[in-house]
Amino acid sequence: MGREKKTIGAAGEKIASRFLKKLGYRIIGSNIRTPFGEIDFVAKHKKIVVFVEVKSRTTSSFGPPYLSVTRSKERHIVKNALFYLKRLKIPDADWRVDIISVKLNYCHELESIELLENAVEDNFT
Amino acid sequence: MISKIYSSCVMGIDAYEVTAEVDIGSGLPGFNIVGLPDMAIKESRDRIKAAIKNSGFSFPAKKIIVNLAPADIKKEGASFDLPIALAILSTEDVIDSSLLQRHVFLGELSLDGRVKPVKGVLPIAMALKDMRKEYLILPRENSKEAAVIREIKTYPVDTLKEVVDFLNKKVSIRPEELNIETAFKRSSKYKIDFSDVKGQEHVKRGLEVAAAGGHNVLMIGPPGSGKSMLAKRLTTILSEMTLEEGLETSEIHSVAGILPPNKFIIGTRPFRSPHHTISDAALLGGGTNPMPGEISLAHNGVLFMDELPEFRRNVLEVLRLPMEDGSVTVARVANTVTYPSKFMLVGAMNPCPCGCIILLIYPAVDTLLDLI
Repeated sequence: MGREKKTIGAAGEKIASRFLKKLGYRIIGSNIRTPFGEIDFVAKHKKIVVFVEVKSRTTSSFGPPYLSVTRSKERHIVKNALFYLKRLKIPDADWRVDIISVKLNYCHELESIELLENAVEDNFT
Repeated sequence: MISKIYSSCVMGIDAYEVTAEVDIGSGLPGFNIVGLPDMAIKESRDRIKAAIKNSGFSFPAKKIIVNLAPADIKKEGASFDLPIALAILSTEDVIDSSLLQRHVFLGELSLDGRVKPVKGVLPIAMALKDMRKEYLILPRENSKEAAVIREIKTYPVDTLKEVVDFLNKKVSIRPEELNIETAFKRSSKYKIDFSDVKGQEHVKRGLEVAAAGGHNVLMIGPPGSGKSMLAKRLTTILSEMTLEEGLETSEIHSVAGILPPNKFIIGTRPFRSPHHTISDAALLGGGTNPMPGEISLAHNGVLFMDELPEFRRNVLEVLRLPMEDGSVTVARVANTVTYPSKFMLVGAMNPCPCGCIILLIYPAVDTLLDLI
């Protein structure tokens, strides 16, 4: 099962990177590790740094993929992003978080893909 | 990028200036309001977002901080929706901001971008001169209420889009015009009259004396003898309201948000008759942010307490001070406000619990009304 999940994720990310390029995102990095976790993609889109979280699923029995990004995961993504920006020495940059929902069939072929722009908002205070 | 829009808020019956400052910074997009907002203002985030989008503008995906200055006074109500939305739009250069400094904006936004009426417009219009502002832009339903003040110009608006177009001089809005004297005269007619009462000459004489001197009255009599009818018509023989008195009373009713929609100035003396289960806070005024109570709503008019002995003891006791002073100071943790409360107290009661004791003793006298 563990391996199965990993392959779904990898397949989803591959599809997502093609999708992003088609939308005009310039991908700066992928699978970046920070002490807080991993960032799937970092891209630049219209001068804004975009952190992309890819969620892939083969079944919609539990709702669309993006629903699995919970509040605490959002917080992790934000921490990751802040750490990364600091590492690049651009802590004041405009940035946002996008979520890509990838739905695959059982052979890991693309069924549908959806981009949620600006999916995480700073309402943590 | 920062922008500033002026608005106003009411505390008690005094209005003070509030500045909605908006800063758009870099970072993760978000929208926060600071400056001691209450729940209605916190919720305005979602209303403003939807209203801006549905008016055909784009909501900036940036880190937005709204500050309502002065920061130490609690703000309440939804009347800041419009100024905050405009401040956000002006940081995006959607609005020509050269004229903004002389305007004061009020209005609640609905999700589709329409501007909805707010409470307490009259005191704000009155205070506008002290703020050195000339123009008031506010919901159409409230515009007549503000136009009562002659020194300022009020522009009625219906939608957020209309406000933006007006500020960019794409459309012109006719300022509300109102002849205050004729409007006041028209609103100072009563639907009922003291002459409706037939008979009861003794009581009428008594009430006339009381009305002439502004004395408080207690009527005692069996049920059906006309106590309530007489009390209701007492306002019609009181001296005619002056414009100043009318403004005072309208101001209180405006703060309480009970000015009738088609009536923007009160020309008839108010008649308030609270039910005898009323609490002391409802009578004097109260709440976290104190609102005027029945005695203030009866300012310059009549407070009628039917079934006087049925009122709770503490409710009757708290009337002492306001009756003496002609004003009531309501102190709460959030703030302390003073409302005027000059009213004529009219009480009515039955002589005994069943109401008919006098009929048994003096069968010949069908009514006995006494005056104190």
